[in-house]
Amino acid sequence: MNFRNTCRACSSLFRIRMAEGLQYRVSAISGTVVGVFWALLECVLFTVFYTYSENGSWNNNGLSLPQTISYVWLAQGLFVLQSMSIDSEIMGKINNGDVGIELCRPMNLYTHWFVKSSAGKLGTSWIRSLATVITGLLMPAGYALGKPPSLTALFCFLLSVVMAFLLCSAFAMLVTAIRLNISWGDGPTYMLLLVSGILSGTYLPLRLWPDFMQTFLYLQPFGGFADIPVQLYIGSMAPAAALPGIGLQLIWSLLFIAAGRLIMKRKLNSIIVQGG
Amino acid sequence: MIAEGKIYFKYLRMHLLSGMEYKGWWLMLIQVLIVVVSDPIATILLFSRFGNIGEWTVAHIILVYSLAVASFGLAESLCRGFDYFPWHLLRSGDFDRLLLRPRSLFVQVAASRFHLHRLVRPVTGICAAGWALGELGVPLTPGRLGILVMALAGGCLMYCGVFVLTSGLAFFTIKGLDWIYLLTNASYQITRCPEPYMPRALKSVFSFVLPMLFISFYPAATVCGWEYPQWLGFLSLPAGAVFLGLSLLVWRIGVRHYKSTGS
Repeated sequence: MNFRNTCRACSSLFRIRMAEGLQYRVSAISGTVVGVFWALLECVLFTVFYTYSENGSWNNNGLSLPQTISYVWLAQGLFVLQSMSIDSEIMGKINNGDVGIELCRPMNLYTHWFVKSSAGKLGTSWIRSLATVITGLLMPAGYALGKPPSLTALFCFLLSVVMAFLLCSAFAMLVTAIRLNISWGDGPTYMLLLVSGILSGTYLPLRLWPDFMQTFLYLQPFGGFADIPVQLYIGSMAPAAALPGIGLQLIWSLLFIAAGRLIMKRKLNSIIVQGG
Repeated sequence: MIAEGKIYFKYLRMHLLSGMEYKGWWLMLIQVLIVVVSDPIATILLFSRFGNIGEWTVAHIILVYSLAVASFGLAESLCRGFDYFPWHLLRSGDFDRLLLRPRSLFVQVAASRFHLHRLVRPVTGICAAGWALGELGVPLTPGRLGILVMALAGGCLMYCGVFVLTSGLAFFTIKGLDWIYLLTNASYQITRCPEPYMPRALKSVFSFVLPMLFISFYPAATVCGWEYPQWLGFLSLPAGAVFLGLSLLVWRIGVRHYKSTGS
């Protein structure tokens, strides 16, 4: 199949999944409630640590309390890009053997699923993340999401968010490709998703991790999920550092896509369709 | 009653064996272990960065936190079916089949799922509590052990209540239950904040709406002799039982209200 048809198929897949996702507005609202509650809890915790602890005035990595609070809100907003599990529709297909039918389609399976899962992710989540971020902006001072230091910072942030979306989708597909080996169960995939979640900075801003780990934390792929965009926004990473950061996100995305395609191709050569 | 108990354990055994058919089943144990260990990592890193908060050290936080997590894990292992109920039984319409069977509905739903690997959570939680007590220099007398066991039992009851409540409410909402996550996995995160520094609103929500502090903080305070009334530590079991009772009421109303879904 030629390139043009693939593109058309992709865009309609994208639209279908978006429309599907938009149907469940209630679940977007309840997701926002969870995000806001979580962010508030983190804000309380960080305020306690910054105000009452022994080294409360600690600031040698340049992350002040208002910056940390902004970090928390934005990380909550970006959190929706990360997948906690494999796309449920694809997962169902792997489990009940519909992979066989998918293989009959005149379209590369990797591309097909990539578009499908990334569209599914975008379907409702952008409402949820927008709602979380706006709630953050409206919070009373002290718990509020601050403004970016400059317009350049905001622009770099937005660019980096787009890259983060690509990176998250690529990683989710890599995990899906690994999950094709059905007889291993969910263990390995969950572990991968969990480790990526921890290292993405949504658990704890990466700047607050021990100093000797900072270089590693910067170079590892998962910081690109949330940490790099957020740091660009709050100004703990200067706009001058934006280009290397976004480049890093791009390199990792390409690596994940290549690895995902390779694993999928090898798995499909020897696939045993389960179920009937 | 005895027959129901037998069925419950038969169910659990069945799920256990079917789970072990997967080649990588032991990986799930490691997976939960990573979840459990990584959860408090943020708190530990924060303490290493910022130092102690007043007289609160890592051990204080870990003790309170681990009590909450261990009781959550226990409930999750024993009552897992209720956790899955809205998604896997109600929406698919499989619940109709359960209604036809001449056995306790509660047992059937509670035992409709069981994952061995969930037991990792209570086990590590209890170990962590032991470590924290050692660190705080509190010797384990029978009386103190009693309070801790009661706290775990009360916490287990409370979290079972949370799961039952979720299922009961699912009869009315069918979908859109993400917020329930606040009562389950998110609720014990509250114990990461030292109680004296907690905002008042948060404190009252988590003692009177969901009796979170009664099953984690007050027992810990009684055991270690922090400056709180001693009797508060004994309230864990009644508080958990009351919460479970109220949830069962909601569940009962839900079952009565139930009209079949699915095909």
